[in-house]
Amino acid sequence: MTAYNNSALRELVQPDRVHRDFYINPEVFDMEMERIFGRIWLFVGHASQVPNNGDYITTTVARQPVIMSRDRKGEVHVMFNRCTHRGSQVCLEQSGNTQRFECPYHAWVFNTDGRFAGAPYPKGYEDGFLAKEKLDLVKLPRMEIYRGFVFVSLSTDVPDIDVFLGPMKDHIDAFCDRSPEGEVEACAGVFRYRYSGNWKLQMENQTDVYHIMFTHVSTTDEDGKQFRREGAEEDEAGKVKVLAQDSRLDDQWEEHPLGGHRHGHVYMGRFAMDKKNSGPIYDRYKASMEDAYGDKAEDLMTVKTHNSIFYPHWSIQHLTQHIRVMNPISVDCTENIIIPLKLKGAPEEMWHAALRSNNNSHSPSGMVMSDDMEVWVRCHEGLKTQSTDWVVLARGMNENFTGDNTGSYESHGTSESGARNQQVAWVDYMCGEG
Amino acid sequence: MLADIEKYLYREVRLLDERRFEEWTDLYTEDGYYWVPAYPNQDDPYKAVSIFFDDREVMRTRLSRLDHPNVHAQKPASRTVHVVSNIEIDENHNVDGEVLVHSTLQMMEYRLDNQTSYGGRAQHLLLKTNDGFMLKWKRVDLINCDSSFGPLAVPF
Repeated sequence: MTAYNNSALRELVQPDRVHRDFYINPEVFDMEMERIFGRIWLFVGHASQVPNNGDYITTTVARQPVIMSRDRKGEVHVMFNRCTHRGSQVCLEQSGNTQRFECPYHAWVFNTDGRFAGAPYPKGYEDGFLAKEKLDLVKLPRMEIYRGFVFVSLSTDVPDIDVFLGPMKDHIDAFCDRSPEGEVEACAGVFRYRYSGNWKLQMENQTDVYHIMFTHVSTTDEDGKQFRREGAEEDEAGKVKVLAQDSRLDDQWEEHPLGGHRHGHVYMGRFAMDKKNSGPIYDRYKASMEDAYGDKAEDLMTVKTHNSIFYPHWSIQHLTQHIRVMNPISVDCTENIIIPLKLKGAPEEMWHAALRSNNNSHSPSGMVMSDDMEVWVRCHEGLKTQSTDWVVLARGMNENFTGDNTGSYESHGTSESGARNQQVAWVDYMCGEG
Repeated sequence: MLADIEKYLYREVRLLDERRFEEWTDLYTEDGYYWVPAYPNQDDPYKAVSIFFDDREVMRTRLSRLDHPNVHAQKPASRTVHVVSNIEIDENHNVDGEVLVHSTLQMMEYRLDNQTSYGGRAQHLLLKTNDGFMLKWKRVDLINCDSSFGPLAVPF
């Protein structure tokens, strides 16, 4: 019997503060896995991670090992990585290409679409048993693919994906439409890293403009250098620039646009320090976009959002060009998967610059992520103290919102509205009203 | 020759352990680079993500950041010790003025009650100069290159 009935759960989230149990209580975490991660659309990967028939990747969805594969007809499947005989995982490689998955225990085999393809010594079963029993690898209850973004849910009882994404669908479109071919491609592998802190610390951090000039001071003050996010622009010697010339920050942040929508989705506007590109590479890009989209090209090329944060666990980082998945491992451990994305048909130099930008800022050695991770770990440790129960998220409570954090809203700058919007969704899901 | 190379490689990693990052950067030629692929058997740093793929400009930026008073991920700083062993000169590398060296590399890192060990194979392409060597590139292939990492700061 849980100590957390709905009224206790509601008590954890006040309008301008949350209780520390929200982050550090293992029982709350288990309930989140069931009531949030178990009931809504989650992100698994991008279909271009399995480009050819027979390709697969393995990953986890809400702590459960899964396989995403492309079968011999080219269809994508997401299934639990669990033999239907005695439970062993049937595949441990991170990625590969195969004709079939074979269980190491008794060599039961499954096709790449998950279908049961045979067990050795079949005479040991009653006549017809193997044909009658449901022995295919079990698919996740729901799967949808939108522009290559593969979503699954652990329950059949989820709203339509369009309803769930709502206006956030436009953010996926905006990202894909920067490609002259209207497609993005995950063709450079992934980074994985872990930190010893709760998953929500990062979800909230991604909406937090307030921390940038302090957590990241070593890359943003007078002597610091931020990395260019959007490629590509050459220097005088014709080399593609990877460093921004001036990353100093000032009051521009107070004006920075933020916003969000129902179901906990939030976003940040483009950073003023991310200047527009120019030069021959960019001109080539522009020409290819104009060929593809005519008058609309200029608007499509202009990146308007820094990030789009989809509740509960993934985001698009538009200028850095990656998808970030935050997979909860336990109440105090979170694994990040960074999936860089190429804009198909854009100049190769732009992709190279984007790849380097990801290496520099979002690899395990990344100059941006390493300071963030340090802070989340310190938060998680600090919250274990009995000093006070409350985490204060009152910035921007005095702001005139358009909206009220329960529907679409816009806010500004260093407001903590994004975290609050996620927490509104958290209460709804946890109390069964999502 | 082997003795000179050993001496050079020992000093190279000692500069890292002593956090003499500027001197370490200065070992590299102007077009030099330091590469730690994130997948095994890579032949092109533009085909897949890399844990480090730094030209001198990025190297300088990355390492000068570690001297910033508020680089939180290194407050307190890591202590490291590198071990270089099994040094072999590549006899198939026949370019005038160059020596390709293979070795095994281990790094122990200690920070905040956690000790972590990394290991892999290293390659150094050395350019012979009048007074020793310059480093054209250093590549480290970690045995756990595609695993899930904690944050990294000090080069391997």
